[in-house]
Amino acid sequence: MTGPRDEFLSEEDLDLRNLSDEEFAAWWLLWMRQAQVTNDLDAGTYEHGVFRYDPAVVKVPSPD
Amino acid sequence: MLPWHGVTAAPSTLYLDLTAEFNRGRLRTLLSSGQAVVFHRLAIMSKDGDWIVREDDEALAHVLGVLAAKGAVYRFGAPLDRRWLAGGWSSHLEFRAQDLRLRTDFVSRPPRIPASQLAAMWSTAEASGVPVVDVEPLAALKLTNREKDYVVVGELARQMKDPRQQLCYSRSGRDLLVLAAGHPALVAEVARERPVLLEIAAGLERLEAALDRERRDLMRRNEERLAGYQRAAVAWAAAWPRLAEPMRGVGLLEGHRRMVDSAATLLPYRPEAGASS
Repeated sequence: MTGPRDEFLSEEDLDLRNLSDEEFAAWWLLWMRQAQVTNDLDAGTYEHGVFRYDPAVVKVPSPD
Repeated sequence: MLPWHGVTAAPSTLYLDLTAEFNRGRLRTLLSSGQAVVFHRLAIMSKDGDWIVREDDEALAHVLGVLAAKGAVYRFGAPLDRRWLAGGWSSHLEFRAQDLRLRTDFVSRPPRIPASQLAAMWSTAEASGVPVVDVEPLAALKLTNREKDYVVVGELARQMKDPRQQLCYSRSGRDLLVLAAGHPALVAEVARERPVLLEIAAGLERLEAALDRERRDLMRRNEERLAGYQRAAVAWAAAWPRLAEPMRGVGLLEGHRRMVDSAATLLPYRPEAGASS
Protein backbone atom coordinates (compact mmCIF):
# COMPACT_ATOMS: atom_id res chain seq x y z
CA MET A 1 0.00 0.00 0.00
CA THR A 2 1.51 3.32 -1.03
CA GLY A 3 -1.16 5.76 0.23
CA PRO A 4 -1.63 7.00 3.78
CA ARG A 5 -1.90 4.40 6.52
CA ASP A 6 -4.19 4.49 9.54
CA GLU A 7 -2.05 4.96 12.63
CA PHE A 8 -3.06 3.43 15.96
CA LEU A 9 0.00 3.66 18.19
CA SER A 10 2.86 6.14 18.40
CA GLU A 11 6.25 5.60 16.80
CA GLU A 12 7.63 5.32 20.33
CA ASP A 13 5.29 2.41 21.03
CA LEU A 14 6.01 0.70 17.76
CA ASP A 15 9.74 1.06 18.32
CA LEU A 16 9.49 -1.24 21.35
CA ARG A 17 10.04 -4.17 18.99
CA ASN A 18 13.47 -2.88 18.11
CA LEU A 19 14.72 -2.83 21.70
CA SER A 20 16.92 -5.59 23.06
CA ASP A 21 15.46 -7.62 25.93
CA GLU A 22 17.59 -5.66 28.40
CA GLU A 23 16.58 -2.30 26.94
CA PHE A 24 12.94 -3.34 26.94
CA ALA A 25 13.04 -4.48 30.58
CA ALA A 26 14.76 -1.23 31.61
CA TRP A 27 12.20 0.86 29.69
CA TRP A 28 9.30 -1.04 31.26
CA LEU A 29 10.72 -0.48 34.75
CA LEU A 30 11.28 3.22 34.06
CA TRP A 31 7.71 3.55 32.73
CA MET A 32 6.34 1.78 35.80
CA ARG A 33 8.31 4.00 38.18
CA GLN A 34 7.07 7.14 36.45
CA ALA A 35 3.51 5.83 36.43
CA GLN A 36 3.55 5.46 40.22
CA VAL A 37 2.85 9.20 40.53
CA THR A 38 -0.81 8.52 39.75
CA ASN A 39 -1.21 5.83 42.42
CA ASP A 40 -3.26 8.09 44.70
CA LEU A 41 -5.51 9.15 41.85
CA ASP A 42 -6.27 5.60 40.73
CA ALA A 43 -6.28 3.97 44.19
CA GLY A 44 -9.95 3.07 43.86
CA THR A 45 -10.21 2.35 40.15
CA TYR A 46 -9.86 -0.85 38.14
CA GLU A 47 -8.25 -1.49 34.78
CA HIS A 48 -9.58 -5.04 34.45
CA GLY A 49 -12.44 -7.17 35.61
CA VAL A 50 -16.03 -6.40 36.48
CA PHE A 51 -15.62 -3.92 39.33
CA ARG A 52 -15.44 -0.19 38.75
CA TYR A 53 -14.57 1.50 42.04
CA ASP A 54 -13.42 0.33 45.46
CA PRO A 55 -16.01 1.61 47.96
CA ALA A 56 -13.38 1.61 50.73
CA VAL A 57 -11.36 4.28 48.91
CA VAL A 58 -12.35 7.92 49.19
CA LYS A 59 -12.57 9.43 45.72
CA VAL A 60 -9.81 11.92 44.98
CA PRO A 61 -11.16 15.07 43.32
CA SER A 62 -9.75 15.56 39.85
CA PRO A 63 -7.21 18.42 39.66
CA ASP A 64 -9.02 21.08 37.63
CA MET B 1 16.78 -15.74 32.91
CA LEU B 2 13.78 -16.93 30.95
CA PRO B 3 10.64 -17.39 33.01
CA TRP B 4 9.41 -20.37 30.99
CA HIS B 5 10.61 -22.84 28.41
CA GLY B 6 10.32 -22.32 24.70
CA VAL B 7 10.72 -18.56 24.73
CA THR B 8 13.90 -17.03 23.46
CA ALA B 9 13.01 -13.35 23.46
CA ALA B 10 10.94 -12.73 26.56
CA PRO B 11 11.98 -9.54 28.32
CA SER B 12 11.92 -9.69 32.09
CA THR B 13 9.25 -7.62 33.80
CA LEU B 14 7.94 -8.10 37.32
CA TYR B 15 4.62 -9.33 35.92
CA LEU B 16 6.32 -11.89 33.68
CA ASP B 17 8.40 -13.07 36.63
CA LEU B 18 5.21 -13.34 38.68
CA THR B 19 3.60 -15.37 35.90
CA ALA B 20 6.50 -17.81 36.11
CA GLU B 21 5.90 -18.16 39.87
CA PHE B 22 2.20 -18.76 39.36
CA ASN B 23 3.03 -21.46 36.82
CA ARG B 24 5.81 -23.21 38.69
CA GLY B 25 5.28 -26.95 38.22
CA ARG B 26 2.09 -26.55 36.19
CA LEU B 27 0.43 -24.10 33.82
CA ARG B 28 -2.13 -22.31 36.00
CA THR B 29 -2.32 -18.80 34.59
CA LEU B 30 -2.15 -16.95 31.30
CA LEU B 31 -0.88 -13.38 31.35
CA SER B 32 -3.56 -11.26 29.76
CA SER B 33 -4.71 -7.79 28.79
CA GLY B 34 -2.29 -4.88 29.25
CA GLN B 35 0.76 -6.93 30.24
CA ALA B 36 0.11 -9.32 27.33
CA VAL B 37 0.19 -6.22 25.12
CA VAL B 38 3.56 -5.46 26.71
CA PHE B 39 4.73 -9.02 26.04
CA HIS B 40 3.78 -8.66 22.37
CA ARG B 41 5.75 -5.40 22.41
CA LEU B 42 2.94 -3.23 21.16
CA ALA B 43 2.78 -0.66 23.91
CA ILE B 44 3.34 -0.07 27.62
CA MET B 45 0.08 1.40 28.80
CA SER B 46 -0.96 -0.43 31.96
CA LYS B 47 0.41 -0.46 35.50
CA ASP B 48 -1.59 -3.51 36.51
CA GLY B 49 -1.31 -7.23 35.82
CA ASP B 50 -4.20 -9.35 34.64
CA TRP B 51 -4.34 -13.12 34.37
CA ILE B 52 -6.72 -15.80 33.27
CA VAL B 53 -6.52 -18.47 35.96
CA ARG B 54 -7.52 -22.09 35.80
CA GLU B 55 -10.79 -22.70 37.56
CA ASP B 56 -9.59 -25.38 39.94
CA ASP B 57 -8.76 -25.41 43.62
CA GLU B 58 -5.10 -26.35 43.26
CA ALA B 59 -4.40 -23.53 40.83
CA LEU B 60 -6.19 -20.96 42.96
CA ALA B 61 -4.51 -22.12 46.18
CA HIS B 62 -1.09 -21.94 44.51
CA VAL B 63 -1.68 -18.42 43.22
CA LEU B 64 -2.94 -17.31 46.63
CA GLY B 65 0.14 -18.86 48.25
CA VAL B 66 2.49 -16.97 45.91
CA LEU B 67 0.68 -13.71 46.62
CA ALA B 68 0.54 -14.37 50.38
CA ALA B 69 4.32 -14.76 50.43
CA LYS B 70 4.59 -11.32 48.84
CA GLY B 71 2.34 -9.68 51.41
CA ALA B 72 -0.53 -9.10 49.00
CA VAL B 73 -3.93 -7.94 50.22
CA TYR B 74 -7.33 -8.14 48.64
CA ARG B 75 -8.88 -5.12 46.97
CA PHE B 76 -12.62 -4.88 46.58
CA GLY B 77 -13.63 -7.74 44.33
CA ALA B 78 -14.70 -11.34 44.43
CA PRO B 79 -12.79 -13.97 46.41
CA LEU B 80 -10.25 -15.92 44.38
CA ASP B 81 -12.54 -18.91 44.51
CA ARG B 82 -13.86 -20.98 41.62
CA ARG B 83 -17.51 -20.55 42.65
CA TRP B 84 -17.41 -16.80 41.99
CA LEU B 85 -14.93 -16.95 39.13
CA ALA B 86 -17.22 -19.39 37.31
CA GLY B 87 -19.84 -16.65 37.35
CA GLY B 88 -17.50 -14.29 35.52
CA TRP B 89 -16.50 -12.29 38.61
CA SER B 90 -12.98 -10.93 38.93
CA SER B 91 -10.59 -11.04 41.92
CA HIS B 92 -8.21 -8.21 42.70
CA LEU B 93 -5.16 -8.10 44.93
CA GLU B 94 -2.16 -5.84 45.29
CA PHE B 95 1.26 -5.67 46.90
CA ARG B 96 4.44 -3.63 46.73
CA ALA B 97 7.76 -4.69 45.21
CA GLN B 98 10.78 -2.56 44.33
CA ASP B 99 8.83 0.54 45.39
CA LEU B 100 6.17 -0.28 42.82
CA ARG B 101 2.51 -0.92 43.43
CA LEU B 102 1.74 -4.16 41.65
CA ARG B 103 -1.87 -5.10 41.11
CA THR B 104 -2.91 -8.62 40.26
CA ASP B 105 -6.32 -9.16 38.71
CA PHE B 106 -7.81 -12.55 37.90
CA VAL B 107 -10.69 -14.01 35.94
CA SER B 108 -11.29 -17.59 34.87
CA ARG B 109 -14.07 -16.81 32.37
CA PRO B 110 -12.78 -13.89 30.33
CA PRO B 111 -15.42 -11.87 28.51
CA ARG B 112 -16.04 -12.39 24.79
CA ILE B 113 -14.10 -15.68 24.80
CA PRO B 114 -16.27 -18.76 24.21
CA ALA B 115 -15.51 -21.89 26.24
CA SER B 116 -14.10 -23.74 23.21
CA GLN B 117 -11.68 -20.89 22.47
CA LEU B 118 -10.65 -20.70 26.11
CA ALA B 119 -9.87 -24.43 26.10
CA ALA B 120 -7.83 -23.93 22.93
CA MET B 121 -5.92 -21.07 24.58
CA TRP B 122 -4.87 -23.33 27.45
CA SER B 123 -3.85 -26.08 25.00
CA THR B 124 -1.85 -23.66 22.88
CA ALA B 125 -0.04 -22.31 25.92
CA GLU B 126 0.70 -25.85 27.14
CA ALA B 127 2.16 -26.73 23.75
CA SER B 128 4.16 -23.54 23.22
CA GLY B 129 5.31 -23.02 26.79
CA VAL B 130 4.27 -19.37 26.47
CA PRO B 131 1.71 -18.50 29.17
CA VAL B 132 0.54 -15.32 27.51
CA VAL B 133 -2.74 -14.66 25.71
CA ASP B 134 -2.11 -14.70 21.97
CA VAL B 135 -2.98 -11.81 19.67
CA GLU B 136 -6.40 -12.99 18.45
CA PRO B 137 -8.02 -13.70 21.84
CA LEU B 138 -6.24 -10.63 23.19
CA ALA B 139 -8.05 -8.53 20.58
CA ALA B 140 -11.37 -10.03 21.70
CA LEU B 141 -10.56 -9.19 25.32
CA LYS B 142 -9.74 -5.63 24.34
CA LEU B 143 -13.20 -4.92 22.89
CA THR B 144 -14.04 -3.09 26.10
CA ASN B 145 -15.83 0.14 26.95
CA ARG B 146 -12.58 2.13 26.78
CA GLU B 147 -11.56 4.05 23.68
CA LYS B 148 -7.86 3.39 24.21
CA ASP B 149 -8.32 -0.37 23.86
CA TYR B 150 -9.51 -0.05 20.26
CA VAL B 151 -6.18 1.47 19.33
CA VAL B 152 -4.55 -1.70 20.62
CA VAL B 153 -7.04 -3.91 18.77
CA GLY B 154 -6.19 -2.07 15.55
CA GLU B 155 -2.51 -2.80 15.99
CA LEU B 156 -3.10 -6.37 17.17
CA ALA B 157 -5.04 -7.05 13.96
CA ARG B 158 -1.94 -6.08 12.01
CA GLN B 159 0.01 -8.70 13.96
CA MET B 160 -2.39 -11.46 12.91
CA LYS B 161 -1.21 -13.76 10.12
CA ASP B 162 -4.58 -15.18 9.13
CA PRO B 163 -6.70 -12.93 6.84
CA ARG B 164 -9.87 -14.25 8.48
CA GLN B 165 -8.65 -13.05 11.88
CA GLN B 166 -7.63 -9.72 10.38
CA LEU B 167 -11.09 -9.31 8.87
CA CYS B 168 -12.63 -10.09 12.25
CA TYR B 169 -10.63 -7.50 14.18
CA SER B 170 -9.13 -4.83 11.91
CA ARG B 171 -10.06 -1.28 12.95
CA SER B 172 -8.64 0.29 9.79
CA GLY B 173 -10.92 0.99 6.83
CA ARG B 174 -7.92 1.18 4.55
CA ASP B 175 -6.55 -2.17 5.74
CA LEU B 176 -9.97 -3.74 5.27
CA LEU B 177 -10.22 -2.52 1.69
CA VAL B 178 -6.84 -4.06 0.88
CA LEU B 179 -7.83 -7.31 2.61
CA ALA B 180 -11.13 -7.42 0.77
CA ALA B 181 -9.43 -6.98 -2.59
CA GLY B 182 -7.28 -10.01 -1.85
CA HIS B 183 -9.96 -12.19 -0.24
CA PRO B 184 -13.41 -11.30 -1.62
CA ALA B 185 -15.03 -14.67 -0.82
CA LEU B 186 -13.72 -14.58 2.72
CA VAL B 187 -15.21 -11.12 3.28
CA ALA B 188 -18.69 -12.40 2.44
CA GLU B 189 -18.21 -15.28 4.87
CA VAL B 190 -16.81 -13.24 7.78
CA ALA B 191 -19.45 -10.52 7.24
CA ARG B 192 -22.02 -12.94 8.66
CA GLU B 193 -20.23 -12.61 12.02
CA ARG B 194 -19.11 -9.00 11.53
CA PRO B 195 -21.75 -7.04 9.58
CA VAL B 196 -19.57 -3.93 9.39
CA LEU B 197 -17.72 -5.68 6.55
CA LEU B 198 -20.81 -5.30 4.37
CA GLU B 199 -19.91 -1.60 4.15
CA ILE B 200 -16.67 -2.39 2.34
CA ALA B 201 -18.54 -2.31 -0.94
CA ALA B 202 -19.81 1.20 -0.14
CA GLY B 203 -16.30 2.67 -0.02
CA LEU B 204 -13.89 4.00 2.57
CA GLU B 205 -15.98 6.81 4.04
CA ARG B 206 -19.04 4.63 4.69
CA LEU B 207 -16.85 1.84 6.01
CA GLU B 208 -15.06 4.14 8.46
CA ALA B 209 -18.38 5.52 9.71
CA ALA B 210 -19.58 1.96 10.22
CA LEU B 211 -16.37 1.10 12.11
CA ASP B 212 -17.02 4.04 14.44
CA ARG B 213 -20.59 2.87 15.05
CA GLU B 214 -19.37 -0.68 15.66
CA ARG B 215 -16.89 0.58 18.26
CA ARG B 216 -19.55 2.54 20.11
CA ASP B 217 -21.89 -0.46 20.05
CA LEU B 218 -19.16 -2.71 21.45
CA MET B 219 -18.40 -0.17 24.18
CA ARG B 220 -22.04 0.06 25.18
CA ARG B 221 -22.38 -3.72 25.22
CA ASN B 222 -19.48 -3.99 27.64
CA GLU B 223 -20.87 -1.20 29.81
CA GLU B 224 -24.15 -3.11 30.05
CA ARG B 225 -22.28 -6.29 30.99
CA LEU B 226 -20.43 -4.45 33.76
CA ALA B 227 -23.64 -2.80 34.96
CA GLY B 228 -25.10 -6.27 35.59
CA TYR B 229 -22.21 -7.13 37.87
CA GLN B 230 -22.45 -3.77 39.59
CA ARG B 231 -26.15 -4.34 40.37
CA ALA B 232 -25.40 -7.80 41.74
CA ALA B 233 -22.61 -6.43 43.95
CA VAL B 234 -24.59 -3.69 45.71
CA ALA B 235 -24.75 -5.49 49.08
CA TRP B 236 -21.11 -6.57 48.82
CA ALA B 237 -20.01 -3.01 48.02
CA ALA B 238 -21.98 -1.65 50.99
CA ALA B 239 -20.31 -4.12 53.37
CA TRP B 240 -16.79 -3.85 51.98
CA PRO B 241 -15.52 -0.71 53.80
CA ARG B 242 -16.04 -2.36 57.21
CA LEU B 243 -14.62 -5.72 56.03
CA ALA B 244 -11.51 -4.48 54.24
CA GLU B 245 -9.39 -2.97 57.01
CA PRO B 246 -9.51 -5.85 59.54
CA MET B 247 -8.66 -8.29 56.72
CA ARG B 248 -5.44 -6.45 55.92
CA GLY B 249 -3.88 -7.20 59.29
CA VAL B 250 -4.32 -10.96 59.33
CA GLY B 251 -2.34 -12.12 56.31
CA LEU B 252 -3.73 -13.06 52.94
CA LEU B 253 -4.65 -16.67 53.63
CA GLU B 254 -6.69 -15.83 56.72
CA GLY B 255 -8.04 -12.77 54.90
CA HIS B 256 -9.13 -15.02 52.08
CA ARG B 257 -11.02 -17.28 54.48
CA ARG B 258 -12.82 -14.27 55.96
CA MET B 259 -13.52 -12.92 52.49
CA VAL B 260 -15.11 -16.18 51.37
CA ASP B 261 -17.22 -16.36 54.55
CA SER B 262 -18.51 -12.82 54.10
CA ALA B 263 -19.05 -13.06 50.34
CA ALA B 264 -21.03 -16.26 50.76
CA THR B 265 -23.98 -14.25 52.05
CA LEU B 266 -23.44 -10.97 50.21
CA LEU B 267 -22.15 -11.70 46.72
CA PRO B 268 -24.07 -14.12 44.48
CA TYR B 269 -21.96 -16.65 42.58
CA ARG B 270 -23.58 -15.52 39.35
CA PRO B 271 -24.66 -11.92 38.77
CA GLU B 272 -27.97 -12.88 37.22
CA ALA B 273 -28.81 -14.89 40.35
CA GLY B 274 -28.76 -11.99 42.75
CA ALA B 275 -29.31 -8.50 41.50
CA SER B 276 -29.40 -7.36 45.11
CA SER B 277 -30.64 -3.83 45.02
